[in-house]
Amino acid sequence: MSTGRLAYTQGTLGTRWKTARLLVPGLLLCSAVSAGPIRHEQHFKVAAHPVITIHNPEGLITVKAWTKAEVMVISMPASTEVEVDAEQMGNRVDVSTRALSDSVAPGDMRADFQINVPEDAELQIHNDAGSVNVANVLGDMNVETVAAGVDLEDTPGYLTVKTVGGSFQCLRCSGRIEVSSISGNFRLIDLKSAHVWAQTSTGNILFNGAFLPNGTYSLKNYSGVIEVRFSPADSFDMSATSLKGKVINEAKLTPSTHEHHFMPKWGNALFGTFNQGRAKVELTSFDGTINILKRD
Amino acid sequence: MAVNDCRDFQRRLEAWIEGERAPDALTHFRECFDCRMVVEDMNAIQNEARAWGDHEAEPNERVWTSLRTQLEQEGLIRTAKAERVSPAALPSGENWLSGFFARIPRPALAGAYLSIVVALGFALSGPANKQTNEAQWLKGTQVATSPLSAKLNSFEQNSIPSNRDLNPAVTASLQQNLAIVDNYISLCEKSVQEEPQNEVARDYLYEAYQQKADLLAQIGERGENVQ
Repeated sequence: MSTGRLAYTQGTLGTRWKTARLLVPGLLLCSAVSAGPIRHEQHFKVAAHPVITIHNPEGLITVKAWTKAEVMVISMPASTEVEVDAEQMGNRVDVSTRALSDSVAPGDMRADFQINVPEDAELQIHNDAGSVNVANVLGDMNVETVAAGVDLEDTPGYLTVKTVGGSFQCLRCSGRIEVSSISGNFRLIDLKSAHVWAQTSTGNILFNGAFLPNGTYSLKNYSGVIEVRFSPADSFDMSATSLKGKVINEAKLTPSTHEHHFMPKWGNALFGTFNQGRAKVELTSFDGTINILKRD
Repeated sequence: MAVNDCRDFQRRLEAWIEGERAPDALTHFRECFDCRMVVEDMNAIQNEARAWGDHEAEPNERVWTSLRTQLEQEGLIRTAKAERVSPAALPSGENWLSGFFARIPRPALAGAYLSIVVALGFALSGPANKQTNEAQWLKGTQVATSPLSAKLNSFEQNSIPSNRDLNPAVTASLQQNLAIVDNYISLCEKSVQEEPQNEVARDYLYEAYQQKADLLAQIGERGENVQ
């Protein structure tokens, strides 16, 4: 009996050990998971043309449009000492990240966001580092960053983007675009915008889009490459000047019929009209290379 | 007094911005592209400053005090108790700024100050020198850029917060880009020295200073946010 009891006890202990061996790593895993980013989800009912403002020191911000008349904010602060405030004031939703204590190191002030907004929303985003991605939002938007890159897709609103070192990419954007940076590279792909103003000091600028009739396209940098792609059907009046760099041109330009260009005494410059010259294109660089190339 | 050149017009710019339209000033304004650009810039800065004043929080006291002291030392603004002096009675060509700054909301002053110093320096060096030779062009540019450079460097030393106050990634980017802009300024200055009449190089130099002013304003703003 005692043996049996012992056997029983040993058996019970053995089972408990096995259970413990399974449970402990499981509990450790659970605690590890719970110590990770905390996910908060908030919903705000909004009317037409809501304004969403986001102020975040660092993190990945993804904004997508959906068909609901609602703003959904999913936030993932990097630590428990960082809190995300999201509040609604009328038809505006303000989202901001703040420290819960003075001891939070500046480098720990991070939060990632996934935000869904109505299609007609207007966005104002301030994110110093990390990245900003926006897709399918029809309203106007203003994005300011220091090091964060900005990627926009299918955005037909008026876009103003300012970065210090962050790159900017715009895919199938069709509204007025004004973008400036010091060292950020710009990629403007499949654009259908009638007004583009892009200026970066040391970054490269790639423009591969349509030159719309009566559109104005001003691309300027200090160094780096400005590359413009054109197709045979495009129609533009071109002015390209690089003070100390090269201008490489594959477009057969005819002397301009629209306005008299002042030929500068300095640098490499070319002026002329391609087809009817319906759009106005101005490319300027200090010592960078300007490429005006046929679209593949 | 007849407005017979750009300097006269710019001395009377404060009155112009306040809405006074003396016939001779109006004639000069219509004929002079450069002065129209200066007025346009002033209006844009003033509008921007008002907009900032409506929306932004009060700046950090340290930055404000430092800026105010600098402005008072330079005679660009007066103390609150000082009586308003007629711009015509003041000796400097920059005196109209005093009234201008007095009307700008305080939060907007830091950024507006830097922008206006850059714009004014180039405006004053431009039209008056156009008819002269290369040496005068160069002198004009140096006269305009030396105080700008000194002011921006001074602001840089006073406004940049310590590294521990800022996000490391952001600090690194700001410092890297400040170095880029400084390099850009020195290359543009070299280019202007080589070809003093090169307007494109002068434009790039102006933009480089403007960019530095913008960047310093951003750095200062971030310093306020972390304190």
